[in-house]
Amino acid sequence: MTPNDGSILFLTLRVAVCATLVILPLGIGAGWLLARRGGTFRSVAETVLSLPLVLPPTAVGLLLLQALRRTGPIGRFLDSAGIELLFTWKGVVVASAVMSFPLLVRPTRTAFEEIDPRLLAMGRSLGSSPVRVFGRVALPLAWRGILAGTLLAFCRALGEFGATILVAGNIPGKTQTLALAIFQRTQIGQDEAAMRLVGLTVVIAFATVLASELVVRRRSQRTAV
Amino acid sequence: MIDLDVSLPLARFPLRIETTLSGQAVAVLGPSGAGKTSLLECIAGLRRKASGRIVVSGTTVMDSGRRMFLPAERRRIGYVPQDALLFPHLTVEDNVRFGMRRGAAGESLYRESVAILEIGDLTQRYPATLSGGERQRVALARAIATEPRLLLLDEPLAAVDQQLKGRILPYLLRIRDELRIPFLYVTHNAGEARTVAKEAIVLREGGVAFAGPSDEALRSVTVIDPEARFDNVLAGVLDAETALGETASLRVGSAVFAVPAEEAQAPGRAVFAVAPEDVLVSTKPLSGVSARNVRPGAVISREVSGATAWIRIGSVGLEWTARLTLAAADELELLPGSPVWIAVKSHAFRRLR
Repeated sequence: MTPNDGSILFLTLRVAVCATLVILPLGIGAGWLLARRGGTFRSVAETVLSLPLVLPPTAVGLLLLQALRRTGPIGRFLDSAGIELLFTWKGVVVASAVMSFPLLVRPTRTAFEEIDPRLLAMGRSLGSSPVRVFGRVALPLAWRGILAGTLLAFCRALGEFGATILVAGNIPGKTQTLALAIFQRTQIGQDEAAMRLVGLTVVIAFATVLASELVVRRRSQRTAV
Repeated sequence: MIDLDVSLPLARFPLRIETTLSGQAVAVLGPSGAGKTSLLECIAGLRRKASGRIVVSGTTVMDSGRRMFLPAERRRIGYVPQDALLFPHLTVEDNVRFGMRRGAAGESLYRESVAILEIGDLTQRYPATLSGGERQRVALARAIATEPRLLLLDEPLAAVDQQLKGRILPYLLRIRDELRIPFLYVTHNAGEARTVAKEAIVLREGGVAFAGPSDEALRSVTVIDPEARFDNVLAGVLDAETALGETASLRVGSAVFAVPAEEAQAPGRAVFAVAPEDVLVSTKPLSGVSARNVRPGAVISREVSGATAWIRIGSVGLEWTARLTLAAADELELLPGSPVWIAVKSHAFRRLR
């Protein structure tokens, strides 16, 4: 592993961690709402949230690019606030976050749906406000699903390519993550360097999944939940 | 005092309850699906679609006319559902502490709840490892620890059958006598109802079929609930010392009964049940029978449902229910006021715990 590989790895991890942290509260909120609400709201919201899963990543990237550019609907506000997203590492975070969001929401929603609503009502009856019931009953009972979704989202963010390259480009040392670097190395015939980076991604993904397995197993031995 | 004027649409019929309950302890009887659980949920504040007015000991918790609906968390009404609904991710201790107030008062209430329900040995266990009866006790302790102004208890349906183990009845009696928390107790056992509560309501298809003294609920229960049981429940003191040969003695008021000796291993307050099938009725003085408990008495009333006659008998200051075939009851000409003798063998006394 060269020093350059190291900085690519660091940038990739930083971006993936940031993207995951950004979407975690949003994903838990969205999963909760979807689990508790029914009807048209739910169908529409489900569809919109699933778009990044079914659309080509480049298409999502292009839509993001249009929205975030200075004259775009969101870019205008960001510009007046002095925030520069496009072609920066923050842009990579935004692209990864959008692409991995559905992967967090789905398992989270399922986990919340599996909680007996009467248990939540019991929490209320014992004197806890809805917010406290959420924190003391719903979250602890759904944590497995939330963790699974978080890991899926993290791994997705780690390997995001299509949307990232459109929103943030492929700038070495600035926006070039592992996935982008592997692509670039193979394009210029440095297959060996590319393989080194592939090895790195395998190690990270493997470590992530293994760590989560261990956490889940240790907790389940204690609580049998 | 509980003032009820509640309406709630249910799947098969609307719930429509209008009654005033004055007692500290009220038994709620009626067949499965009559709306008993729904009524409790309305009072607890778990049914947002309920309309009408509910006043619990002076506090209005719901008044849809004034668009007033006190949320469940502010009602201070403890609810123990059929399936206990313990939080599976918390230990027994954390379950009981869930709704507890902070500070020394809460702490002493916690200890009291654990002691009364005898769950001290279970505190570090998780609900998945508990038996049905243990879960009910933990749920009851959890409700008591919130210092409720009213307790709502829904007896598990499994307790309808003969299964006497794991009943919460003995604990309920302690709560009634030691903590004096008013409660509504749903049961299928009219005999239990009589022991636990002076007052009873009987529900049928969402409405009140009877409201009044629990002694008198028997008549409407026989007609309305074919699954109902009429166990004779005796709460008394078990004597260790005055063992009568192979039996121990149970004192209930001024009466003393012979019960199986193996029960005397834990003397003191005890609750026993005698199934109505196990009460033998004779119109002549009994002698030469093996049964250890033979007492004179008089018939109070006779209720008939199908081929079964339920005979209520007053004897030694207690009221008994005997289940006879209609043919047997007719043959003996058992009418109110007829002098009878009842015989109960000691092994028919089964201890509830």
